[in-house]
Amino acid sequence: MRKVAMFLAVAVSLFSMAGSGVAGDTIKVGFVDTYTGPATTFTNDVLDGFKMAAGKINAKGGVLGKQITWVTRDDKFKPDIGLTMAKELILKENVDLLVGTINSATALAVSDLCKKEKVPFIVTFSKSDKITGEKGHRYVFGMNENTEMAGRATAKVLAKKKYVKYWIAGDDYEYGHAIANGVFDHLKKLNPKVQLLGQSWWKVGETDFTPYITQILAAKPDFVIVATGGGGMVNFQKAAQSTGFNKKVPFYQHTAIELSTLMPQGQNAPEGVYGTANYLFYNPSTKENKAFVEEFRKTYNRYPKSGALYGYMTAQFIASSYAKAGKIDREKFIDAMEGMTLGSPVGKMEMRACDHQVTLPMFFGVTKKSPQYDFLVAGDVVSVPGKDYMPSCAEIQKARAK
Amino acid sequence: MDFAANLFSSGTLSQILVGLSRTTILFIVSSGMSLILGVLRIPNVAHGSLYMIGAFSAWSVIQLLGGGLFAFLAAMVVAPLIVAAVGFVLERGFFSYLYEREHLMLLLLTFSFALILGDLVKIVWGPEYRSVTVPVFFQGSAEIFGLPLPWYNLFLLVVGPCIAVFLWLVINKTNLGKIARAAAVDGEMVGAVGINTGWIFAFTFVLGSFLAGLGGALIAPMVNISLGMDHSLIMETFLIVIIGGLGNMWGALLGSLIFGLTQSLGILIWPQFGIAFPYLAVVAVLVVRPKGLLSSTW
Repeated sequence: MRKVAMFLAVAVSLFSMAGSGVAGDTIKVGFVDTYTGPATTFTNDVLDGFKMAAGKINAKGGVLGKQITWVTRDDKFKPDIGLTMAKELILKENVDLLVGTINSATALAVSDLCKKEKVPFIVTFSKSDKITGEKGHRYVFGMNENTEMAGRATAKVLAKKKYVKYWIAGDDYEYGHAIANGVFDHLKKLNPKVQLLGQSWWKVGETDFTPYITQILAAKPDFVIVATGGGGMVNFQKAAQSTGFNKKVPFYQHTAIELSTLMPQGQNAPEGVYGTANYLFYNPSTKENKAFVEEFRKTYNRYPKSGALYGYMTAQFIASSYAKAGKIDREKFIDAMEGMTLGSPVGKMEMRACDHQVTLPMFFGVTKKSPQYDFLVAGDVVSVPGKDYMPSCAEIQKARAK
Repeated sequence: MDFAANLFSSGTLSQILVGLSRTTILFIVSSGMSLILGVLRIPNVAHGSLYMIGAFSAWSVIQLLGGGLFAFLAAMVVAPLIVAAVGFVLERGFFSYLYEREHLMLLLLTFSFALILGDLVKIVWGPEYRSVTVPVFFQGSAEIFGLPLPWYNLFLLVVGPCIAVFLWLVINKTNLGKIARAAAVDGEMVGAVGINTGWIFAFTFVLGSFLAGLGGALIAPMVNISLGMDHSLIMETFLIVIIGGLGNMWGALLGSLIFGLTQSLGILIWPQFGIAFPYLAVVAVLVVRPKGLLSSTW
C-alpha cells in the first residue's frame, strides 16, 4: 500500500514538473556545456556573460512579459553525455531552445538532434567550421568564429608580410589541423610564393614543447603557424619564452593574444607573438566596450574574455528575436533571428540569414608588455570585419550541397 | 635519407638533452607509482591527481612567498609535503581498509579518488589557468650548436640523478626500505615476523605521493597549471611502469628513459609523427618482453 502511495506521489510530482515547462510563463534556455575539467575556464565566461545580459533584460520586465530562465547540464566534454543531456533538456525540461557547447563533436551531435526535434540551438564556443558550414541547417546558429574563419582572417593579414618559408605545427586532432591548414591553404591562395618547409604534430595535452621547438629552429623557417588550443597555448608560450623561440622566429597562434592565454603568465609571457581573437576587453576602446567591461567587472570581479561576449550576445539575440517574433514559437523565433542585426561591445553584428553565422570582427595583434596591466596585451591591433573574412553565402551553399 | 640526415645533424645532442630533462619528470612521477604498485599492489589511478595537486600547491606557495628563487625552492619542498600529507590521509583513511579485499575494489577506489581530487582541485583553486614563472636564476637558455637548451631543463638534468640516488639510498640502505622491499615480495611473511605492515604500506604510499607531488612542483614552471593535467600524465606513467617491469624502481627509470628519448629523437627524425615513437617503443618492448624490461615484483 505504502509503495503504491509513494509511486503515485512520485508520478504526480513528475507530471507537475513536466507541466511547468509547458505552462510557458518563462522563456527557458537549456545550456549543455562542459563544466568540469580544463574547458571550464572558457565556458564559465559564456554562462556568466549570458546571466548578466539575461538578468538585465529580466529586470526590465523580460521579453513579451516573460522572464528568461536557464538550466545547465554538464556534458563533461563527452559527446555521448552531451547528447543525452540535450535530449533530457528538450523532452523533460521542455526548454525553448538550447545553447552550448565547447566540444565540437558534442556540438555536431546536438545540432543533429535539434534538426530532428526542430529545436533552435545556438553554438557558443566550439570551433568546427562544419557546424554552420557543410553540416549547417535551419535550427543551428553560430555565435562565435570557427576554424575556417580564423584561418581566412589570419591568411589575409599574413599575406601582406614577406615571409616565404613556413612551418606548421600543432595539436594532432581536428582543431589543430583545421586551424593550421586553414591559415596556410588560404595564405597559399593569396600569396603563391609561400612554401611549406615542414610540419610537426603533437598529442593533445602535450606539456613539454622544448623538443619540438629545438627541432623547428634547426630547420630555420621564416614563420611558424602553431595550432594549439586551450591550456596548450600557455604551455607553448612558456617553452617559447624559455628557449627564446619568439626572438628567433616569428610565430602565430590563434588566441595567442586572448586573455586566458596571457593573464596566467603575467609579465613573463613571450613578446612578439602573433595572434587572433574575437574579443579583447581593451580594444576597441569604444563607449560600448568600456561599459560592457565595467559591468562585467562589477558583477564578477574579473575582466571578460571572448566567452563573456558570446554569452552576452546570445542572451541579447534571444531576447530580440522573441520580441520580433511576437510570440514564443520555435519556428517564428528562427525566422526572426535570421538576418537580425544588433549592436554589441565590438560593433554592429549580423546573424547572417544564409548560414546562421554571426559576423564577428577578428582582431589580429602582437603580444607586448603594457604599463597599464600586469600581463601582456595585444599591440598593433588590426581589426578584420566579419564580412571581409567569412566564407560567402555561395561557398556555404556549395559546401552544404555536397 | 632525410631521416638519417636529421638524426646525425647538429640538433641531435640538444635533442637528447631535452629528452633527458623530460625523462626526469617522468621518472620522478613514475617511480612513485612503481613504488606503490610494487609494495601495495595498487595501480594508483589517482597518482596523476596527486601530481596535479603538487603543481597547484607549488603555485600557491610561490604566490604566498611573492616569487623569486627562495619561493621557488621552498615550493619544491613544501608542495610535495602537502601532497604527502594528502597521500597519508588517503592511505590511512581509505585504502588501508581495503587491502584484504579484492584488488578490483582498490582499483575502483583509486579511480573514484582521481575524480574526487580533480573536483577538489577545482573547488580549492578554481577553473582558471595558473602559471608559475621560472625563477630569474634559471631563465634563458644555453646554446648547444646554435640551438637553445633552457637552463631550467639543465637544472632538471641535475635533479633527476639526485632523486634516483636518494631513492636508491632509501630503498637499499634504510631499514624501512629493506622492509618495504621484503613486503613487496612477500607481505604475509613480513607480517608473520612481527612487523606492522600497515605502517610500511603507509610509509610507501606517502613516499610515492611525495614523489608525485615533487614531479608536479618541478614541472610547474614549465607548463600551464590547469585542471586535467592529471589525465595527460597518468597514461604515460602507466606505460612506463609497465614496460619497466611492474613495481621495479629501476624499471621506472629505464622506462622513462625510453619514453623521453624516443619521443625527442622521434620528433627530430620525423616531426610529423613524433608522437608515435614512444608508443611504438612500448609496443616493441612488450612484444619482446611482455613482463617488462626488468623483473616484475608481481
